[in-house]
Amino acid sequence: MQKMSSAATTAETTNDALHAVRSYPGFLLWGLGQATNGGLGFYVWMFMLTAISLVGANAWANQVADGMIVTNMTDHVSWGLYIANFTFCVGLAAGGVMMVIPAYLYDDEEMHKVVIVGEVVAIAAIVMCTLSVLVDLGRPDRFWHLIPVIGRVNWPVSMLTWDVIVLNGYLLINLHIVGYLLYMRYLGRKPNPAWYVPFVFLSIIWAISIHTVTAFLYCGLGGRPFWNTALLAPRFLASAFVSGPAFIILVMRILRMTTGYAAPPGPARTLIQIIRVAMSINLIMLASELFTLFYTGGAHAASARYLFFGSHGHYGLVPWIWTAIACNLVGTALFFMPEALERGRVRIAACVLCIVGIWIEKGMGLIIPGFIPSTLHEIVEYSPSLTEWKVTAGIWAFGILLLTVFLKLIATVFTAEMIAGSALPASD
Amino acid sequence: MIADNNTADQQQNGGKGEPLLPILDQPSTRRTALKVAGAALGLAAFGKAFSPLMVIPENVSVDEFLQQHYKELTDEDKKKVFARLEAETREDYGADVTISDPRPIPGVRFGYGINVSKCNGNGKCMEACNKENNHHRGVDQSYIRVLEMSKGSMDMEQGSTTYDHTVPQEDKFYMPVQCQQCDNPPCVSACPIEATWQEDDGIVVVDYNWCIGCRYCEAACPYHARRFNWELPEIPADEVNPEQGYLSNRIRPQGVMEKCHFCLHRTREGRAPACQEACPTGARVFGDLNDPDSDINYVLKNKRVFVLKEELGTKPNFFYFFDS
Amino acid sequence: MRPDASSDSNSADQPGHEPAATANSIQERPEFPVEIRKPSGPPRVSTGLSDPHGNDVTVACSTCHMTRQPDHQNKAVRDLDEFHGGMAFSHGSVSCLSCHNSNDYDSLKLADGSRIEFTDVMTLCAQCHGPQLKDYKHGAHGGMRGYWDLTRGSQIKNNCIDCHNPHSPQFPKMQPTFKPRDRFLEQPRTEH
Repeated sequence: MQKMSSAATTAETTNDALHAVRSYPGFLLWGLGQATNGGLGFYVWMFMLTAISLVGANAWANQVADGMIVTNMTDHVSWGLYIANFTFCVGLAAGGVMMVIPAYLYDDEEMHKVVIVGEVVAIAAIVMCTLSVLVDLGRPDRFWHLIPVIGRVNWPVSMLTWDVIVLNGYLLINLHIVGYLLYMRYLGRKPNPAWYVPFVFLSIIWAISIHTVTAFLYCGLGGRPFWNTALLAPRFLASAFVSGPAFIILVMRILRMTTGYAAPPGPARTLIQIIRVAMSINLIMLASELFTLFYTGGAHAASARYLFFGSHGHYGLVPWIWTAIACNLVGTALFFMPEALERGRVRIAACVLCIVGIWIEKGMGLIIPGFIPSTLHEIVEYSPSLTEWKVTAGIWAFGILLLTVFLKLIATVFTAEMIAGSALPASD
Repeated sequence: MIADNNTADQQQNGGKGEPLLPILDQPSTRRTALKVAGAALGLAAFGKAFSPLMVIPENVSVDEFLQQHYKELTDEDKKKVFARLEAETREDYGADVTISDPRPIPGVRFGYGINVSKCNGNGKCMEACNKENNHHRGVDQSYIRVLEMSKGSMDMEQGSTTYDHTVPQEDKFYMPVQCQQCDNPPCVSACPIEATWQEDDGIVVVDYNWCIGCRYCEAACPYHARRFNWELPEIPADEVNPEQGYLSNRIRPQGVMEKCHFCLHRTREGRAPACQEACPTGARVFGDLNDPDSDINYVLKNKRVFVLKEELGTKPNFFYFFDS
Repeated sequence: MRPDASSDSNSADQPGHEPAATANSIQERPEFPVEIRKPSGPPRVSTGLSDPHGNDVTVACSTCHMTRQPDHQNKAVRDLDEFHGGMAFSHGSVSCLSCHNSNDYDSLKLADGSRIEFTDVMTLCAQCHGPQLKDYKHGAHGGMRGYWDLTRGSQIKNNCIDCHNPHSPQFPKMQPTFKPRDRFLEQPRTEH
């Protein structure tokens, strides 16, 4: 309920603005309250996630104290599970754009209602990305060196600086959009398109850029022939547009099961159509890579040989990659079945299989083989240590925790709207 | 809705009577009490989980934390930094050291040559590097790796660094690999914070107090030249080399990158690098590429010379040659 | 990589060899010498006896060789039926008296027969091993210790027989004694 102190329009707008600013702390604290309200199942879920997050945090703290010797990374395989996870999470974040495009570029009304789910998945995923990189730093206490002006940034030459910019930018854009929409709903006001629609369009381009820049991190390195392919950025985008929407479908399913907030069937179908196309492109690109590597052969296929078939008596990654390929193929087949377009187990299985397959393929199946054989052609194998698993589990738990909090807020706000029977609460 | 009521209240009261914590404004119920208990427990667990991080304020002084990039340090700053580092070395390692900061000799550009016909893989260069550069004794680290290669092939896949037999073997030749001090270094392009750069005499250096340990440079280097400090280096006090350079062989902190620096604390004073002096076969040639009469220029003019991975365009200043 | 027009020349590589470009070029600092280690003189043979001070009694080569006729037929170790048998000798197709001076066993001789001291053996080696000498003069053979920049310090170089046994000059085999113990070579620390 808003009261106008005077009839003048300008005073009204000023009042609105002042009211908005003054109410903000209230909004945040309301959010905190909502985030800690729920049934027993909710509390158990949040407790578990918090516990796992703290286990991961503690493992990381020990890593900072004792040094990264507690991981299984070596001078030969100097990036491992953390960066593998980072690569996958960037894909997840970029996947949200596959909801934004139909909603805003194609005016898909039904998608419009659920696009916010994609945006909060993007926020949680970006936070996971940032954490994954933070835990990989040898000197996290020197994090401020990365900040422009007070640090010293090797921009535009270093791809990592671009990555820092685009990831943080994407986080801010999505935080702004989601925050603004939620806040307007909280205040009971109609969101002003001028305040968020430009950012939405920006986020479309930005989402493409975050994964392209991440791919450029790897594919620009001439010393790593396994990565040094022009196809890496397109492959990243294609797999992101599978893993992201698949994850969102799973999230919407869980949302329906826990809050009763049921999205209309259209958006999921749209996402699955997108997944069908993106996955097909991904598989074609994979075939193209495999042909170019194995038909030509020679030294630049050494990493691929190790990955797919083992090399010089080392077979560590062979089961991983074939599992990933099996998951991707079966998942794709399931997605192409007509049953996938309806709610049901086929759809869920397909989503899970594709997410697992892409996680392995992009993570262990891309990052690790880039280092094996080493640049001096030594084969040093890698499998993550317990500390690395704990930290990664902690990062995922924290990301899912954040996601749960955001979804809770969204569900509360939008369910209230739906109960009231209109998109807007009665005003004045 | 509770939310709307609150905003209405704030509007009417003009901000007065605004509850500080809406959570606590709820009627005291078991739920609220549980929430408070949960929050307290959570905070305690949070503190306990992160407690190992307390090692940072113990080991990293405020001065070290705030230290600027090497290129932005004035001479005054450098004196303070070196004095601090020397004091820390005395405290942590029990050794008295002097840290110097020799600047490139004007007009000099270093080049290094390895005579592949002469190298017999004995590894004394690796040992000298380990001793000269205060390497971590835990793994007997060295910036050099010597590859035992099969004759008739330059394919490193058939090479080995872990050979342990009398050298030279009849059917093998030997190639030591260390930082090539490239003129187009992929590691320098990769570093997000310019913690590594190429100096005027061609040496690619690392500011160990600026590096954040992201290891992007290690991924970028095609020559396996860079090493990471996975743990705190251990060196007994009597094995510490006390003549140290800020950008070269001072004892590195945990969590930062390091690499061969052509012993710049020696070479910028005109001395030979440790690996060259240690080589018993005389396979190593070092000198000034800008001096037409230097040893390295003699090699480049008169021998058959190649560089590693030339197709990558890194433009190394490290050359391999054969006796004619 | 622009050549520096006023660079100092890195010479003084043979004993007694004058550094080039002295009077004409502008030398800001004097050049330090390149010191070449010299052998200590003709080898002495130990008799196994000790003098009253406890020192080994050694004799010069000529002690025995003045009383014996040189045998120009001796070409290989198996031809030596009295002394010096059992030594390693593998030096191409040279024979003993190619280098040893039959007129004065306390010295060596060059190809033209002229006498040369044991301490100047490098000149003898250089007669046949010209390419190696050329490389040696430019630092590409034989290694060095000291300063690459001779305006700041001197350099010490080996002489030929510091590394090469003149009778069996092939560089000896060695045993690698130092190997970095990379983590992957040891057990992974799985307790973390």
